Amino acid sequence: MRAVTPVSGTASQDVRWYQRAVFYEILVRGFFDSNDDGTGDLAGVTAKLDYISWLGVDCIWLLPFYQSPLRDGGYDISDYWSVLPEYGQIADVVQLVDEAHRRGIRVISDLVMNHTSDQHPWFVESRRDRANPKADWYVWSDDDQRYKQARVIFVDTEKSNWAWDPVRGQYYWHRFFSHQPDLNYDNPEVAETMLDVVRYWLDVGIDGFRLDAVPYLFEREGTNCENLPETHQYLKRLRKEVDLLYPGKVLLAEANQWPVDVVQYFGDGDECHMCFHFPLMPRMFMAVRREQRFPITEILARTPPVPEGASWGIFLRNHDELTLEMVTDEERDYMYAEYAKDPRMKRNIGIGRRLATLVDNDRRVAELLHSLLFSLPGSPVLYYGDEIGMGDNIYLGDRDSVRTPMQWSPDRNAGFSKADFAQLYLPPLMDPVYGYQAVNVEAQMRNPSSLLHWMRRMLEVRRQHPVFGTGTMEVVSTDNPSVLAYVRAPHASSGAGASSGAGQGAPPSGAGQGGGPPAGQVPGEQEPVEGTVLCVCNLSRFAQPAQLPLERWEGMVPVELLGRAPFPPIGPQPYFVTLAPYGFYWFVLAKPPPGQAHQEVRDGQAGLGRPGAA
Amino acid sequence: MDKQASAGQELPEALARLLPAYMARQRWYAGGGVPPTSLHCLASGQLVPPAGGGEGAGYRVLWALVEAGGDHYQLFIGERPTAELAEHISKADDAVVGSAGDRTFYDATVDPEMAVEILGALTGGAQTAKHARLVGAEQSNTSVVYDDRLILKFFRRVPPGPNLDAEVTTALAAAGFAHVAQPLVRWQRDGRDLAFGQQYLAGGTDGWALALTSLRDFYATSPEAGAADPALSGGDFAAEATRLGQVTAEMHIALAQSFGADHQYLAGAWPGWLDQLWSRVELLHPSLVEGAGPLFEALRSVEHPGPAIRAHGDYHLGQVMRTDAGWYVLDFEGEPGRPVEQRLQPTSALKDVAGMLRSFQYAAWSALGEHSHEQAGWLEPLALAWEQRNRQAFLRGYRGHPGTAALLPTGRRDFEAVRLAFELDKALYELSYEEAHRKAWVGLPLAALHRLLSSPVEQLLAEVPEDAGAVDDGEPASPLGPGRP
Repeated sequence: MRAVTPVSGTASQDVRWYQRAVFYEILVRGFFDSNDDGTGDLAGVTAKLDYISWLGVDCIWLLPFYQSPLRDGGYDISDYWSVLPEYGQIADVVQLVDEAHRRGIRVISDLVMNHTSDQHPWFVESRRDRANPKADWYVWSDDDQRYKQARVIFVDTEKSNWAWDPVRGQYYWHRFFSHQPDLNYDNPEVAETMLDVVRYWLDVGIDGFRLDAVPYLFEREGTNCENLPETHQYLKRLRKEVDLLYPGKVLLAEANQWPVDVVQYFGDGDECHMCFHFPLMPRMFMAVRREQRFPITEILARTPPVPEGASWGIFLRNHDELTLEMVTDEERDYMYAEYAKDPRMKRNIGIGRRLATLVDNDRRVAELLHSLLFSLPGSPVLYYGDEIGMGDNIYLGDRDSVRTPMQWSPDRNAGFSKADFAQLYLPPLMDPVYGYQAVNVEAQMRNPSSLLHWMRRMLEVRRQHPVFGTGTMEVVSTDNPSVLAYVRAPHASSGAGASSGAGQGAPPSGAGQGGGPPAGQVPGEQEPVEGTVLCVCNLSRFAQPAQLPLERWEGMVPVELLGRAPFPPIGPQPYFVTLAPYGFYWFVLAKPPPGQAHQEVRDGQAGLGRPGAA
Repeated sequence: MDKQASAGQELPEALARLLPAYMARQRWYAGGGVPPTSLHCLASGQLVPPAGGGEGAGYRVLWALVEAGGDHYQLFIGERPTAELAEHISKADDAVVGSAGDRTFYDATVDPEMAVEILGALTGGAQTAKHARLVGAEQSNTSVVYDDRLILKFFRRVPPGPNLDAEVTTALAAAGFAHVAQPLVRWQRDGRDLAFGQQYLAGGTDGWALALTSLRDFYATSPEAGAADPALSGGDFAAEATRLGQVTAEMHIALAQSFGADHQYLAGAWPGWLDQLWSRVELLHPSLVEGAGPLFEALRSVEHPGPAIRAHGDYHLGQVMRTDAGWYVLDFEGEPGRPVEQRLQPTSALKDVAGMLRSFQYAAWSALGEHSHEQAGWLEPLALAWEQRNRQAFLRGYRGHPGTAALLPTGRRDFEAVRLAFELDKALYELSYEEAHRKAWVGLPLAALHRLLSSPVEQLLAEVPEDAGAVDDGEPASPLGPGRP
């Protein structure tokens, strides 16, 4: 069992906990129904904290639980200060946070700063006329011709970023649904009020926020209205406030952009603590389907280093569609062809499926993808239900396909609720493969070889090696395109200000950079450090061999992390491994036991490490 | 440069006596396993002096340029106390020259410690490394990788003058062509290239291996699925082939920039070259020859075969590396079987294009060979489909590059005809090569020849759809460039 250290309410001993944390994303509505009304609630999450703790999660991320007409899953907030009654009350939030902290688990929540619901009193007032006190709280215009360079994000439903309001007789600006008007951050009252919201929930005990849709806070003519300097300025102001009053809290930005733009949201370590790495996610799926590593290594090579103390949030799936905005047209066509064979699977610019269905329920692929998620640079974010391999229902509208009730047991309503079936917010999955009779927590808890137990074991191993969260990363060359190998090493000297970013191991420098060593090879020049982990995985559905040039670690013994079996020591020749289909290894590179002579190390190597040797 | 390798210093007599038998065992020695009867040392010296000086400990590295059987060879000989040998080199008999007293001579490139010292010595300390790894001895050279950062090629047979690969790679890098590994070390003596070091493409994998990965995936499609469309297979290679076509176009533009483009040469040589081609076709089986007339008619009616440039010369999937920064082109030495003067002759850029197209067939059939005879029977349509798809994808990438127009025959018909001529040339070359070396592979070029010589000419000339050039316009070679909002 894990040792539980309760999270203390104030200045925690470790303000950088998020760098080593595993996050677990929860749809309050779909997790557990504590009052039998057919809808999950906050008390339901509290009731399941022991399960979350057992699994080995460090921080839960709650999707929005604020007052809302729920036309966009709660991302259309109509009152920032109160809880959606179906979910509970403020007291339930306080209880959830307290109970979680007692178990050493932190709680962050979604915060939608960019827009509100059109039913928010601010908007109701703002639209009334052009002279009321809130008249300037939203972005109004006489015509719909401004900010023409801003793209439309929800292409399935929206044609323009402007919507006509017959009441006020003007257009209002909305980057998402037309029922979600954008707040006007040029108005100092809006900017200040949102800081009040932040302070309020941090006072309640929340450990931080996942900041929804941050690139769009400001609008400027002649730009695409994304990632503007004014937006960064505001986020810096927010961070300063949080650091000052609430040290140890975390800001996690949702910026679905290219890595080079996303790193801007880390600032110089003075904006967000974390940002999601969106482009990596589709490419992990692509790599498996193409049976080659380049989709992954390419995007890592193009990921700039992050400032000291910052971390990526990485994920395989979340409550939205598998977004394909951050891929090329060619890659998007490929992903649609491979992973959305039925047009119903497409959602906006993406694919509305869960992990298990995306990989055709192949347990080996699910494990391989999770091994990547748990070992690539960044903090992994799991999506509720993926730990047991839940499926989806593509016949449900919008993004509800992946928001069906958590499957706790084979009992009625999947053990999610005791309400009448017809009362449930969405029907649980009932098909023979992914339905709750076949896939549920209770059954998998009882089966030691279940995916759930495997996940828990992996998280346990990961927790024992902080290098997964904070180490450098370097890709190890191998001729076999289906094999991806990389080394996670502790920083040679802590506090050296180096990156924990993904962009290590970038191979060739481009034109005009000749002469010097390729960028990203810096860690390679370090001496081997204790605690270094080597990850090797096979992206192919066939068994594969690989020869890894590991001479820098000559004499070290790779010890496999799940079974602790020592492998033959590394010799001067490339290290030879064979991998089962979709197989992977995590090795810690250990010093050989004392007394083992150098010569013996060499002899051991001759057996396995050098296939060509006679 | 070669500060220690002072000319005139003789090799130790014991070593000189051991060398002929040693050389006979080396892959790079042209004498066919027979020790040279005479061996002249043209130059020699001590490249790495004994460490610490006295007491017979440590090692040293000797260098020599020798002449044997009319060819020149370069030797790097390490010398160590025999007792220490096992600690430094693995059991590699061929690399050991022999022993004299308590010391042993052997090929210094197999000893990582010596290899590191050699790098420092060749570059006067400008390049240093901690680790060295021998990556394989080829016919004409030996390559060592340093710190996964630099790969140094030691030329073994060293004719006087510059080495083509070193020369062309250096020129292309200077011209700003981003898809060659940056040159880092060029060790020459009297204008002769002896060693050439480039940026090591860490994390790269060659095109052949990548194509086979795609093919193995495709061939593993279950037959009842009936999916003989490579576009629907997970491991589809077409996007890679398109990008490869784009990089090939950029390479030709840079080659023309560096070595010039001759607009008259090819037009002048064309009729004679076709005659030569015809005389090679005539040697084939009559069933193939009888259908060849219409194709040659089409080839002879080419208005202008386009400019001639310095081409890669031996372009195929094994010569390109896929890295995280896209495709890189390697090895500009030209076809090793041809004399240097021939390799220097300018030719059409389409010679390289044809080489790569032929390579797609080789890959598709080579992966077929991994299956049993019966399986291969029903997989054959898949091989054809894969080849077709990737040929078209490659050509789409190549022709889609706006800069190639000036390097190619102007009319579409001329373009296709010249491409066909070079494919025919390549297939004929392959046939004679396979007949001489790999009988089991003869069927491969024969199938290609059958296709080229027996298909209706109009069909051959229209193999690639008309719009092929236009589809991916504006898509840069970088796989992550576009798609950005």
